[in-house]
Amino acid sequence: MSSESPIIRESIAQQSLDILRTRAESLALAEDVETTVETMGLLLFRLGEEWYAVPIAGVREIINDFVLTPIPRVPEFIRGVMNVRGEIVSVTDIALLMRIASDGHRFERELPAAIIVRTDLCVSALVVDEIGDIVEVARDAVEPPLATLDRSQVEFISGSVYLEGKLIGIVNLDRVLEPIGENS
Amino acid sequence: MVEFDRSAFIKKFQEEATEYLQRLNEGVITLEAEPENRELIDQMLRDAHTLKGSSRMVGLIEISDVAHRLEDIMVKVRDGDMRYVPEMSDVFFEALDTIVFLSDSAGTDVSEQTDIPALLERLAVVAGNGKSDDEAEDAPAEPEEEKSPAPTKQPVGAEKKPANKSVKKSSPKKAVHDEETLQTRVQHTVRVRTEQVDRLLNLVSEVVIAQIKDEQRSRDLRGLQALMNETNQLWSRVRTSAANLSTHDSGGFNEELEMLDELLADQRKRLASIVKVDAEDASRASTVVSDLQEQSMALRMLPVSTVFNTFPRSVRDLAHQFNKDVELEIEGGDTELDKKVLEEINDPLIHIMRNAVDHGIESPAEREAAGKPAKGTIRLAAKQEGDHIVIEIADDGAGIDPDKVRAAAVRKGYVSQTEAKSMSDREASYLIFEAGFSTSAIITEISGRGVGMDVVREFIVEKLKGSLDVTSVLGQGTTFRLTIPLTLAIIRALLVSTSGRTYAIPTASIEETLRIDPAEVIKVEGREVIRRQRRTIPIVHLRDVLGLESGETSGRKLPVVTVGFSGHRIGFLVDSFVGEQQIVIKTLGTHLVRVDNVAGVTILGAGEVVPILNVPDLMHHARQLAGMRTRQAAAAKKAESGPKRILICEDSFTTRELERSIFEAAGYDVETATDGALGLAKLREGLKVDAVVTDVQMPNMTGFELTRAIKSDSRLKVIPVIIVTSLEREEEKAEGIEAGADAYITKSVFNQDTLIDTVERLIR
Repeated sequence: MSSESPIIRESIAQQSLDILRTRAESLALAEDVETTVETMGLLLFRLGEEWYAVPIAGVREIINDFVLTPIPRVPEFIRGVMNVRGEIVSVTDIALLMRIASDGHRFERELPAAIIVRTDLCVSALVVDEIGDIVEVARDAVEPPLATLDRSQVEFISGSVYLEGKLIGIVNLDRVLEPIGENS
Repeated sequence: MVEFDRSAFIKKFQEEATEYLQRLNEGVITLEAEPENRELIDQMLRDAHTLKGSSRMVGLIEISDVAHRLEDIMVKVRDGDMRYVPEMSDVFFEALDTIVFLSDSAGTDVSEQTDIPALLERLAVVAGNGKSDDEAEDAPAEPEEEKSPAPTKQPVGAEKKPANKSVKKSSPKKAVHDEETLQTRVQHTVRVRTEQVDRLLNLVSEVVIAQIKDEQRSRDLRGLQALMNETNQLWSRVRTSAANLSTHDSGGFNEELEMLDELLADQRKRLASIVKVDAEDASRASTVVSDLQEQSMALRMLPVSTVFNTFPRSVRDLAHQFNKDVELEIEGGDTELDKKVLEEINDPLIHIMRNAVDHGIESPAEREAAGKPAKGTIRLAAKQEGDHIVIEIADDGAGIDPDKVRAAAVRKGYVSQTEAKSMSDREASYLIFEAGFSTSAIITEISGRGVGMDVVREFIVEKLKGSLDVTSVLGQGTTFRLTIPLTLAIIRALLVSTSGRTYAIPTASIEETLRIDPAEVIKVEGREVIRRQRRTIPIVHLRDVLGLESGETSGRKLPVVTVGFSGHRIGFLVDSFVGEQQIVIKTLGTHLVRVDNVAGVTILGAGEVVPILNVPDLMHHARQLAGMRTRQAAAAKKAESGPKRILICEDSFTTRELERSIFEAAGYDVETATDGALGLAKLREGLKVDAVVTDVQMPNMTGFELTRAIKSDSRLKVIPVIIVTSLEREEEKAEGIEAGADAYITKSVFNQDTLIDTVERLIR
């Protein structure tokens, strides 16, 4: 993995994601029988100076060049919604949510890249500064989140992993993607 | 493995059973009225029989037992061995309810909650004569067979025995008939999961959007053709002048000119043919697409009877519960409605029904005393009007008393006395839809009408984007009229623009669109209003409600959209109107479950996503916003020079406390006195106040005397005196002014805004 990320075309990214997901699934199935090294797929992305990752199992697709429609009076980290082939998907500014300095595409309607992620409950597109490689890491290599993270950040990070001398925070999707406005 | 399979079938069974149970429920009601209805008896017999068989297949033996008894009874009714009498209905319903319960619990042990053997016994008693005895003996034996598949056949055979005994010949015929209906069904219907239909509709709406884009492209192409024609005309002029030039002047260009001419002609021809073909294709595609849209929408349409048919039973139960005698008339059950809408109207209809039975229809005795038939009637009718469905629920009960509603609303603080007075009876009736309006002592006062009515409003207006109307004649009855869009997927909407963004407002909620002169906007008590047909309409900037930065307002006339609900109207100022059109409603996705002010989004032809505004939310926030401004204004004044102090002299406790709360809410310190003499004493003792608010008629010292005393005291005469009174005659007003009062407010025009406003003007 390197800081200059390869240009990922959507379809290729989608294909590789599919392959990886199938592999992840078959690995998950094999888990019980074999005692091989358990691995997990991670999709890396950059926010400002730092690199983060989302588990590949939670990634649905990667979207380039989308048009954002702001929605009034939603939490600040919701940039709005976008149209993905007829489906409306919220756009989450994950840097703002986790309070991380990013390159900032604050006032633009055209945004560079987004990762559409999903949990059991919902789907959202995370705005990132740059999309990186897909890596396979051993589950054993995942460490607890960095102790120096402040409390508000730590809940969004489920663990961290060292890759090529960089510490990568793994985003806790269940926490990032909590349905909004359910109780109000 | 076995367990898993069975549960999958139980689900299928539950689906199937719902249908049969519904039909049996309806059947019982009809049978009460027409005990000789042969067709119905056969139908019910078949349904009970099917239920018995399929429940046994999935191992729900108890259901099978109950259904078995029902079948026995129906066999006897059919064969004329006994007559169906209404007294049998109760145990029938009990049996059906038990089956529903057993079906829902899907085979778990429910012997704690329900006593099946006792029910079977009761059913056996209804079935009568000796036969029931040996059957009652079968029943306990059956559950033991549950685990062994082989003996399953035996009870099936056994149940056929009683049927065969009595109708040997018709039995095989019946079987053939069953098969026929079964076959017809297989050929004509397919069970499809609703999600599948929804996904299909989603894709269809994408096709519709693509089609709109295509049409745009066709227009672009025609524009290009026009451009091309212009180029050609220009070219032919150039060519003519070129021909006039001597040959050597144009020199070697001749050939090129010739070629260019040919090329241009060719281009023109090709473009023309493309435009022609494209136009043909586009028009064909648009027909197909609109058919596709219509047909796929129809997939999700169901007759309202699917909801209505549950009401005869529930109204019967309700009437029983409240000791009323009620007849339900249903009309237009075959009117079709989107399944999504149908699911949502069930709850509001139940609320309205409940209200009608509980509070609308009087007791039989009261009805007779009022000269009405003892049996009340509720009419539930559906009909289609354009792209809407209108559902009316009319009862011939006591009606809503608008005066009682007004009085209650004033006491509850929903409206001021003046507002209540200026309301028409109709507007007053609407008050019952206010949230929480009825959840207080008022309930009893307005005889409970309105219980849960805010829920009805929420469903109909907010969820279904429909509208709600109530008309009532005291003593003659009440009619609720629900107007609901045919489908939730497509509505008409007005597109407006504010702060450079486009928003859609459902046309159903819009009263009118206006372009007003800025001079028409009047500022009253920190609020902006306009006068329209002798009514005052508050005006709010849409961008303020939505929390957007202010954009440029172009033009001298301001575009205003007025929306109205339950007697309230608000005008929203926008930057411009974009246009009105059909829009496809989409949700905000799974992440944004509920967002203030936004009901959903739509995708316009160009792929642009536009939020659809939620009108009840907008109105709520607009009112909050207006309230905040007045409060801010008051707070700002207060902050300037510390809190001002007011002395209120008033003998009526209610008025005194009312005035106190008004001033305190506006940030004043309040002192009170119960008559003029006590007030004057306080002032003379050195109480420093910024103004005195006084009533006229008080014991010991009237307001006029108090005013004279204050104004003749050199130390006190600077204090402004405001007289608040019910006296309205000119001479009295004159007397007040003569006494030296600074302001005179009559109670009939009294409201908190004029009072605060007056005091603030005088204090400064």
